[in-house]
Amino acid sequence: MMTSLFVKITGYVGDFFLDFEHEFNTSGITVLYGSNGSGKSTIISVLSGFINHLETKIVLNDKSIENTKIFPPHKRPFGTMFQNPILFEHMSVNQNLDYPIKRNQFLHQTLLSKEELIHYLELGSILNRYPQNLSGGEKLRVALARTILKQSDYLLLDEPMSDLDIKTKARLLNFLKMINKKLKIPILYVSHSIEEISQIGDEIILIKNGKKIISGSVSKILNSNSFQRLIGKFESSSVLEGTLIKTNQLMNMTTLDVNGQSLIVPGRPGLENNIVRVRIRSRDIIISPVKINTHITENELVGIITKIHTEKNTAFSELVIKLKKNKIKKTSQVLRARITTYNLNKMKITENKKVFIYISSVSIDRQAYQY
Amino acid sequence: MDTLNFSSSDFNAVLITLKLALTTCFFLAIIGTPLAYFLAFKSKRTKPFLESIVTLPLVLPPTVIGFYLIVFFSPDTPLGKFFILLTGEQLIFSFYGLVLASIIYSLPFWVQPLQSSLEKIGNDTLKTSESLGASKFDTFINVIVPLSKKGFLTSFIISFAHTMGEFGIVLMVGGGIHGKTKVIAISIYDHVEQLSFGKAHFLAGGMLILSFIILLTLFYSNKRSIVKVK
Repeated sequence: MMTSLFVKITGYVGDFFLDFEHEFNTSGITVLYGSNGSGKSTIISVLSGFINHLETKIVLNDKSIENTKIFPPHKRPFGTMFQNPILFEHMSVNQNLDYPIKRNQFLHQTLLSKEELIHYLELGSILNRYPQNLSGGEKLRVALARTILKQSDYLLLDEPMSDLDIKTKARLLNFLKMINKKLKIPILYVSHSIEEISQIGDEIILIKNGKKIISGSVSKILNSNSFQRLIGKFESSSVLEGTLIKTNQLMNMTTLDVNGQSLIVPGRPGLENNIVRVRIRSRDIIISPVKINTHITENELVGIITKIHTEKNTAFSELVIKLKKNKIKKTSQVLRARITTYNLNKMKITENKKVFIYISSVSIDRQAYQY
Repeated sequence: MDTLNFSSSDFNAVLITLKLALTTCFFLAIIGTPLAYFLAFKSKRTKPFLESIVTLPLVLPPTVIGFYLIVFFSPDTPLGKFFILLTGEQLIFSFYGLVLASIIYSLPFWVQPLQSSLEKIGNDTLKTSESLGASKFDTFINVIVPLSKKGFLTSFIISFAHTMGEFGIVLMVGGGIHGKTKVIAISIYDHVEQLSFGKAHFLAGGMLILSFIILLTLFYSNKRSIVKVK
């Protein structure tokens, strides 16, 4: 069964005006992205039933649940994890995990048992410990397991990983993707980190000053102009999708096919024929009007400059490059590059010119992604 | 000079004092706890106003409170009439008059320690509990009470000790009637007036030691729980 969720929230929170409307129609992971103070957490609070003075419409699987008298927070079918999750200090890890189980009202068909969760999140050795003796990462894993054990219809995670180190974060993001698929439980994931979006998101909603700017699939949105404007020039980047061709086990490198051109990325981001999504920062791209006949980088792609935007009062120019494609694929993918205007003029690059693009594999963020 | 330093009248005063302190704490738990909860989690605009009212008994001279209570407890007022209808007795100079007065007088001693202990738990803990499927009452019993055990203990001990030691209001509202409203503090006053210093010593020393033990228990338990958290 596919979970459908419609949300409309209008009204003032203090002197901040929130005007949000979205139809969630994916069973995957939706990322709610926006800067601090854009209204992300307010939306989570409204959904969870803790803010009730706004004009609200929440329809989950054709059932209206916005009335906080009929659906107070403890009867909402959402599993919410707040920013800086809190464990009950007077209970052991095991007792914390039992808390939602004892109060379970939403029995799911495909549920992950407590034992499985303990196994996946490696909580076995800390079950009898108390929260004051846990590290930040351990606390977060317990809180996540506890939220999932509510067996709700929808998970709402409010910037859960902002304080974690990269390694733990990557592991937990993979875990979230796994339970999203296994439990078929949709996730609304609040974030202001682009790394997280490109790693975890299926859909993305951009909000700014309480208003939805744009929404859609992650690969489409991450390359859109409005997104690039929102995240600012320094983080400007493009997302490419490619099919995994082969992995060189010895070197631990993987070759992707990006519309007929090959792209080599580090590690082993998936299995053969998987679609892999990579993010490349605009400032990490080197372009040249002529072919460079040395192996300065692993990757050499070919494309046509479609647009040059020279910034006033800065040293930089942004280039939009359409990658060459093979004839079978209908759409070609787009790369953004950021170079100095000084170098642009020296290379005599203009719009509609063919360029060679050099990308070091070191600067590629990769994430396995299966359709 | 008395040879016996502890008479049956003093014994009665001790019993009445203990009964008064326990009864007052019982009612404070019922009235003061929801008030502390409301102040800690719910009130926003009303908070300064409510806190002022709760704190008022701390700053007012006992005689001012005593005076107003006598006015309100007199048999001509609705409250006084209602009490006579209920028990056939006057509220003023009765044990229950004392209880009512002590509840009002000791209210800040129950509410304030509990409130600050609840505020330390914070709204996020409550939200977490509710979002995991627990109702507000369920959350109160299974999360708030266990987490604020120390606050409850402090409130109880301070209120108990404070009720035991009250003099001015108890004298005005209760009248110090033998076997009925005469508490230890009034007994000591009477003994001193009659220059029976031996009897006064006995009761006063008892109060001193008891109060010290109470405070020692309180601070010891506070210290221990701080160590435990670390």
